[in-house]
Amino acid sequence: MSKLKVKVLKKEANELKIEVEGAGHGLCNLLQKKLLEDERVDLAGYDVPHPLASSPVIYVRMKGAAKPEDALIKAAEKAREMNTAFSKELKKALKA
Amino acid sequence: MKIEVLEKDETNLRLSIKEADVPLMNALRRIALAEVPSMAIDEVVMIENSSILQDEMIAHRLGLTPLKTDLDGYNLPEECKCQSEFGCSLCRVTLTMDADSTEGTRTVYSGELVSENPQIIPVSDKVPLLKLAKGQKLKLEAYARLGKGKNHAKWQPVSVCAYKYFPKIELLSEQCKDCAKCVDICPKKVLAMKENKVEVRDLLACNLCMDCVDACPQKPSAIKVEWEKDAFIMNIESSGALPPERIIQEATKILDKQLKEFEEQLKVGVK
Repeated sequence: MSKLKVKVLKKEANELKIEVEGAGHGLCNLLQKKLLEDERVDLAGYDVPHPLASSPVIYVRMKGAAKPEDALIKAAEKAREMNTAFSKELKKALKA
Repeated sequence: MKIEVLEKDETNLRLSIKEADVPLMNALRRIALAEVPSMAIDEVVMIENSSILQDEMIAHRLGLTPLKTDLDGYNLPEECKCQSEFGCSLCRVTLTMDADSTEGTRTVYSGELVSENPQIIPVSDKVPLLKLAKGQKLKLEAYARLGKGKNHAKWQPVSVCAYKYFPKIELLSEQCKDCAKCVDICPKKVLAMKENKVEVRDLLACNLCMDCVDACPQKPSAIKVEWEKDAFIMNIESSGALPPERIIQEATKILDKQLKEFEEQLKVGVK
């Protein structure tokens, strides 16, 4: 099973670069956009260095002293909430 | 978020989704295409093949034949407890075929595949697989497994999974001279003439091509085409392997699992 695996590439006080094994554009793009909605985030981006031979790399830089890992968790939570709302609404719509 | 079912039948599902955003729609679309598992023939043992098609060719055609899938009854081979190269009854279905032609040339169709599980059968029994001339024979055993679209297109449960912005068309009646140029040019027949007036006939069909805006002789154009930034129309067309509503529900489940896993990994890995 393609389990996700997070590998830290670079870690500073307000910067984080991680490689996410098993993730694709779908997940990374979602996380990036949700990160950018966070006011504490200065810069967020992702890159897939090679479509077949490598895993995507997510980079986050924060304004001031905020922790980038907290912002990532918040972004993932936000995405999950939205996804849960989607599946709930879908169930409702399919029943009607 | 507000979701409405616009159209629904055995293979098609059309949803109107409001108060959503692009990244979520895109993630769900990508997952439906590449990560929702479905059943397909993966390995074929040729017992006898005297047709003119090579074994590989037939195996490829068998692989691309959509099979009805039972997601709850079967495991993905990599997640199955057996961990066997050959699979077990929980992660593999055997289909057999014994076809020959006694008189003249005939076409062999997917309906001639005999499955050990009557639930896992070809979606259509009218998929032509090959032709046999008089006296030629084909006998084989095929093994179907669950798989994901990212590994091979034969495991894609959808033939189409796409979304577009919800269109918004405004007719500026003061400027409009009702010349009907916009009506004629629209490739989707969104606009129509009614009592010599232009009106929107089928808003949801609009694909935002803007041809009508360019075709309008008025300057500025008497027709305005825009889209809602947070509303979408999603179209899911299943290959028949799974019902379309099941595919999108599975996609939300997989996304939730991925995000959960990501959070867990982050908590463990980054300290």
